[in-house]
Amino acid sequence: MTDRRQRAVATSSLSGCRHTHDGSHGQFREKPLSQLCFSVQERRSGLKLRRRLTLFFAIYIIAMSFIPLLHDTLIAQGRWLGYGTGAYQYQSQNYFILFNDPYDGSSKPHIHVNPGFAPASRISLVEFSDWTSWVNDHNLFNEFNVTMRANWGTLDVTYSRPELVIHKYVEVSSDAVKVILQSEKEFGAHLEIWRWVMSSINGISIKDVAKPLVIAPTTLLEFTFSDDRLQGQGHGRIEMSAMPSQIQIWPHEKGFNRITVDFVNSMMSFTVSGSMEAVGGLSLNWNYALLPYVLPVVSITVVALYLLVGKYGRTIKNRAARRGN
Amino acid sequence: MLLAAAIRLAIAPFFMHAGDVGTIYESSIMVLKGANLYDFVYAKTIQMQSTTGLPVFFEGYAYHPLLIYFFAPFYWLFTLIAGNGPVMIDGHYPSLPVLVYPWTPLLLLFLKIPIILADVLVVYILAATDSRKAKIYAFCPYVIFIGVVWGMFDALVALFLLLSYLTSSRNSFLSGFFYGLSLMKLYTIVLLPLYVVRLFRKWKAFSAFFAGFAVTLLPVVYYLIVSPVSVWNVLVTFQGGRLMGGVNLYNFIWVVQDLQFDLVISMIPNILLVVALYYLIRRFGMKAPLLQSTLAIMFAYFLFGKVINEQFLVAIFPLMLLCKECDHRLWVAPFVFVFLRSPFYYFMLPILWTSPVFYGYYLQADEVWRQLQAAGYLQIPMYAVGIAFSLLIFWNLLRVIDATRGGISSTPGVTGPMGHRAYDRVLKRARGVWGSSILNRP
Repeated sequence: MTDRRQRAVATSSLSGCRHTHDGSHGQFREKPLSQLCFSVQERRSGLKLRRRLTLFFAIYIIAMSFIPLLHDTLIAQGRWLGYGTGAYQYQSQNYFILFNDPYDGSSKPHIHVNPGFAPASRISLVEFSDWTSWVNDHNLFNEFNVTMRANWGTLDVTYSRPELVIHKYVEVSSDAVKVILQSEKEFGAHLEIWRWVMSSINGISIKDVAKPLVIAPTTLLEFTFSDDRLQGQGHGRIEMSAMPSQIQIWPHEKGFNRITVDFVNSMMSFTVSGSMEAVGGLSLNWNYALLPYVLPVVSITVVALYLLVGKYGRTIKNRAARRGN
Repeated sequence: MLLAAAIRLAIAPFFMHAGDVGTIYESSIMVLKGANLYDFVYAKTIQMQSTTGLPVFFEGYAYHPLLIYFFAPFYWLFTLIAGNGPVMIDGHYPSLPVLVYPWTPLLLLFLKIPIILADVLVVYILAATDSRKAKIYAFCPYVIFIGVVWGMFDALVALFLLLSYLTSSRNSFLSGFFYGLSLMKLYTIVLLPLYVVRLFRKWKAFSAFFAGFAVTLLPVVYYLIVSPVSVWNVLVTFQGGRLMGGVNLYNFIWVVQDLQFDLVISMIPNILLVVALYYLIRRFGMKAPLLQSTLAIMFAYFLFGKVINEQFLVAIFPLMLLCKECDHRLWVAPFVFVFLRSPFYYFMLPILWTSPVFYGYYLQADEVWRQLQAAGYLQIPMYAVGIAFSLLIFWNLLRVIDATRGGISSTPGVTGPMGHRAYDRVLKRARGVWGSSILNRP
């Protein structure tokens, strides 16, 4: 044994430590009861540190879990927020709007209403689809280059082709959501607006229509819908800035699932609004928007379990071991 | 060892994570063509940022340049058999890949050979010290899943970290070389300050270690000269500016759909990571055994690192098996998390894509899965598992610190908030065993 190694072993023995040091690059060989080599003071300060670290970490986990809730209540309201691979969303008091990422042609935008009696619920109102919309016979999703930019209140989506540039602006106010299609040139458009499903459109019920129906030209579309989960009845309005050349409604099983609007213009706006009333008794309904409220509960529960297992788990285990002995 | 290899070889051709295996496949093709991987990824990122107006990144090849040279030779061997035709077309999220048969299983087998070899070598090395530990690694469902079902190459990181540790006392050059290789997944960079501190003033060992380390950095230097902007963007900006999340207490951020806010909040763990590393290295870097120090720092990274993916634990799994203070059953948490984050059938694409009927089933199942996701039902268990994993890591960290004379007790009966009463009980018991003189010594 080298001098250095002898010294290491000797020092360890003197302090009652069962560690031995082989002198090579920090390689320790440990023996049973190695922990008992610490002095009383070391042990007490160690326990104190352990308790402090555990307390810090428990508080840290729980505090972090409140971030989604704080964000929801203090920051998220009333502005466009970009996320994920390029989707945007907007939450106002009455509406939640999703504008999907550039790799998905649906929800361009998807407008939801937040019912007054269940503010955290997001009930689909209407969805503009790029998959199934065309401008000058070019599909909006597949045949245009898209760029998206958001400022505080307006989302500006630019669809460009060599011969044509169209802007789709989405503006949100307290009582409506405005979707504006605008270009410097006149263009012919076929837009599809979806909802699963509308009970009636402009007073026309599903009972009256078996096939797709072209309705009388109008700048105002009013529709009704119901929601089984919330047991509510809703109604929506789509107000257009100019008279379209054709409006067609499409029946699907229990209602109408889409409205197609054809127009030729250099600008067309769709002002969408809606609301919902409760009918009958409300039951508890789960919704994604409730997650920020649930996460703190999850964190507190898991942390509490950890602390309880740390406290009682070991005591029980030790008792059992003692009985065994 | 043979059985471990046989199991892996039998599973490898039929499963994959389309995004990750697709990245290796694409990158192997590009390397054989002499293309610059980082320019490709950077161009995609620029395109995405220009389209969306958001600081989003293309998640492609964002690894050490050496990594692909472990896979490209096996892809080249594959092309000798199957030719250069496309086998896997576009598997990046949100697209589903198009797979060409009969070559897909063969491609998967060839691309996973480096992972299988790494696994087998780890088993071989562990078997030299303790056959029980080798068996645990060889047949651990989590390790097998990550390597040959998912197709993730953390086993290579595990192998090189293990070799770096084992050679550290005998050959500093090799230790530095293996450590450099372990950086093929950049998260082991947190260990660099530990090596610096440990070798400080041991100039011979220090020089040898960093000479070995420098050899592995040569490809990085080459790419930095050839395309500095791309490399910086892919390796530094992307990795440094990632959103927090994964199997940790930070995955609540997936609920907060506000990228700018998320990026700011993601800085919090970074600050704590720096503090934790400083504390651990200062307190234990010089005096504690290398194994425990390495694990303590990696545990700190698992607690305060922004992104902890399901597969990261594989990298330190062999070291955990060597450390008696660590509980290797930690793997259960990330293994459960895998199935909460990705549907199990997603890993079965090579099987499901063999028939339009299976493809139909896939779409039906995926519809249900997406509904569960959209409703937020999966987010809750994912968050719970993330926190539980962080707490278990924390518990292991405390045990490691204690065992290395950090002064924090982990003696059975003294853990947690039990306080001095439990501590006194231990003292009493110890007096019985050791006599009072030793324990009364200051």
